[in-house]
Amino acid sequence: MRRPGDYRIAIRMIDLGRPLEPIVDVTEYPRTRVFVREAGTLLGSVDIGNAYGPISATRLRDMVTNALTGVLIKRSAEGVAAPAASSVVAPDVAVSIVIPTCNRPDDLRRCLAAVEGQRGTRPLEVIVVDNRPGPSSPTAAVAREFERVVLLEEAKPGLSYARNAGFAAAAGEILVAIDDDVTVPPGWLERLVAPFASPEVMAVTGDVLPIEIEWWSQYQFEAYGGLGKGFTPFEVDGDWFHAKRSAVPTWTLGATANAAFRAGIFTHPEIGMLDEALGAGTPTGCSEDTYLFYRILKQNGTIVYEPAAWVWHRHRTDAAALRDQIYSYSKGHVAYHLTTLLRDGDTRALIRLGYSLPRALAWRAWMRLRRRSDYPLSLILLEIAGTLAGPWALWQSRRRARRLGPGARRSLSHAVSLEGRVTETSAA
Amino acid sequence: MKLICADLDGPLPVIPPRAVGAQWVLVRLHGHPIGIVHPPSAGCGPAELRRLAIEQHALAIARHVAGDRLDSPCESESSTLLAQKCPRRRVESRASLTVVVCTRNRAATLRGCLDAIEALDYPADLLEVVIVDNAPTDAATQVLVARYPRMRYVCEPRPGLDWARNCGALAARGEIVAYTDDDVLVDRGWASAIARAFEEEPHAMCVTGLVLPEELDTPAQLLFEQYGGFGRGFDRHVFCVGAGESAALHYGGTGRFGTGANMAFRRTFFEAHGLFDPALDVGTPANGGGDLEMFFRVFKSGYALVYEPAATVRHCHRRTYAELKTQIANNGVGFFTYLMRTAQAYPEERRDIFRLAAWWLWWWNLRRLLHAAINPREFPIDLILAELRGSLSGLRRYAAARRHAAGVLARFGAPTAWRAAG
Repeated sequence: MRRPGDYRIAIRMIDLGRPLEPIVDVTEYPRTRVFVREAGTLLGSVDIGNAYGPISATRLRDMVTNALTGVLIKRSAEGVAAPAASSVVAPDVAVSIVIPTCNRPDDLRRCLAAVEGQRGTRPLEVIVVDNRPGPSSPTAAVAREFERVVLLEEAKPGLSYARNAGFAAAAGEILVAIDDDVTVPPGWLERLVAPFASPEVMAVTGDVLPIEIEWWSQYQFEAYGGLGKGFTPFEVDGDWFHAKRSAVPTWTLGATANAAFRAGIFTHPEIGMLDEALGAGTPTGCSEDTYLFYRILKQNGTIVYEPAAWVWHRHRTDAAALRDQIYSYSKGHVAYHLTTLLRDGDTRALIRLGYSLPRALAWRAWMRLRRRSDYPLSLILLEIAGTLAGPWALWQSRRRARRLGPGARRSLSHAVSLEGRVTETSAA
Repeated sequence: MKLICADLDGPLPVIPPRAVGAQWVLVRLHGHPIGIVHPPSAGCGPAELRRLAIEQHALAIARHVAGDRLDSPCESESSTLLAQKCPRRRVESRASLTVVVCTRNRAATLRGCLDAIEALDYPADLLEVVIVDNAPTDAATQVLVARYPRMRYVCEPRPGLDWARNCGALAARGEIVAYTDDDVLVDRGWASAIARAFEEEPHAMCVTGLVLPEELDTPAQLLFEQYGGFGRGFDRHVFCVGAGESAALHYGGTGRFGTGANMAFRRTFFEAHGLFDPALDVGTPANGGGDLEMFFRVFKSGYALVYEPAATVRHCHRRTYAELKTQIANNGVGFFTYLMRTAQAYPEERRDIFRLAAWWLWWWNLRRLLHAAINPREFPIDLILAELRGSLSGLRRYAAARRHAAGVLARFGAPTAWRAAG
């Protein structure tokens, strides 16, 4: 199917542990994005303009070595150095996975099937929170298809209310948040949980990769920035938080589409649950996760980004949903900064709102006008509109949250101490 | 000074001092070209050469080694980095290949070319060599070819390089037809690299390769490399027209994909999409562009073109300034005649062809002219002017070239097994 302006990108993943094979099943696609992994770590990605042809093993090898030379050299160096002893999370530490959902039975079914595949020796609890319960809700029927899935109901609309309900009821020491439109690959849970072996780690986020780029909106969402945060693991803490001159860029740390938290933070007096005035389903649209990261860092907690714990995300397929999402992200971004300013007295937000955010938007528009990018101007204008609507949205959201009242809270009785007993040292 | 090859995985040569020109050293690893090293004019020993090669080409070497590890992830751990044996899995092609050399009255130069072809490492049962003698005025070429029992001599009386290329294509029995010129020395592994590239990329219809200067003794030869030369780098590329790309606008400047001195096609491509346009290239008013036109035809037909630097040849650049000037002027003529021919053959591409022509006139001819006017030492201004004049005259030469081809056809008749060349 050859057509001008074909934006579709085939998504493939290769494992360097095996000899490279040609990719022959992409002749329907103008371009192919190849994610490269090796022994459970994600090394990077490379885009190949295959122009409706197959990709030979030789071309694949050349493209991968040219795109990832530095990473591959580092891997060789690591192969030479003796492995260091590292600690692991004890196998009896329980994990709860909380999946809020709202009238999306097909996505939920796909998600739960993959999550059930994560079960190993570790105690695992899977909690589905129905955020639009009622007799017509399809969620209960899907949850019943999976024997060991716990179903909760949270009638107060809003993603933060739903996730808080799940977190409050969860019995695990590590609480994992994913969305109902992600698919987790085999081995994901252990990789996401592994950094908790260090006692100072309070949260771990993983990469979020597009499972397909078949639709205009999916392509543009990736062009917008997507949900991935790169292929380099990193760790941030209170020093990073305090050293920043401009606003703390917590939005670069990941999202609750794929994140894990130490249960203790939710009963910590200065951290607590997700802010119910923020997040999807409220006028602000998002940022409940970035604000939680903000408070964790403020309390000197460490957040680890572990790209190896990637999940696949199916981006929205219709243009209207994409516009909603981008508009929400812009509103929520402003709401987040205003929240840090008003709640925490963080004046660094003013630099972001008054200088760097307008500059970033102007830069995108300028690049578009100079035809240096093909990102649609309509979406840039939408971002600007969302940015301007942010303060109003936050005020509306706060009023709404007051009206609905606080959501579920984790009781101190089953709180686990912040340090926990999560670690045990062993030679890797 | 001949080009010196230095294989990093073998003993490195001693570079002798030089009095004139420049000495280039081609650095290779496992037979793959890595890059060029410019040794000091006083020459240098193996240790210094090794140091220079690693200092200047560490990234390319690291990439090659990383690529080796991807090909055989299990066994490479124990081997040293510059081991003798390349751990890459070799795709061995069993395709039959015909080498076609078109020549005219240059028996002395041709001898070196034939010797190099004789030394090719391609299996003898799969290799065929056809020497096309184009409108000769003496029998020297025929006498010379008779000394090589494995080579076939074919005479093409119609003057013009593309007539000769077509004659070679029609005489060829191989699945792959590989062209080279009579002033070119092919590398031992040239034919294998071409066959391997075709084997690896099934949707490729054309393979081009690296062309390096055999000698850089005279100022004219150095100027030609400064002008751009024939080499197109040390990275392997697969080119094809992608989605949202215009064939003419993005792939019309076919000079960047290779040159007629080192190009190969699947014979089936000629059968399906025609032979070279006899109105183009040397010996016609167009004076060039036959190879460029065929590259574009590959893209336009939706196939890929592979630039494979491992298919290396060496070309003897023109030694005198006058010859260089003619060659550069002809580049302008040939390129613009090819563009006009393409605009005529593909009306739907016409707008993009004219945009490309206008851009090229500005970017390549006028912009460089301005640079040279400001800083005359950058590049001789008369060469730029010669190319500009050639380009402008190329804009209106295609009709004359067609008449010329028709005249040749009337005088000599159509070749046997003639298939229209578009």
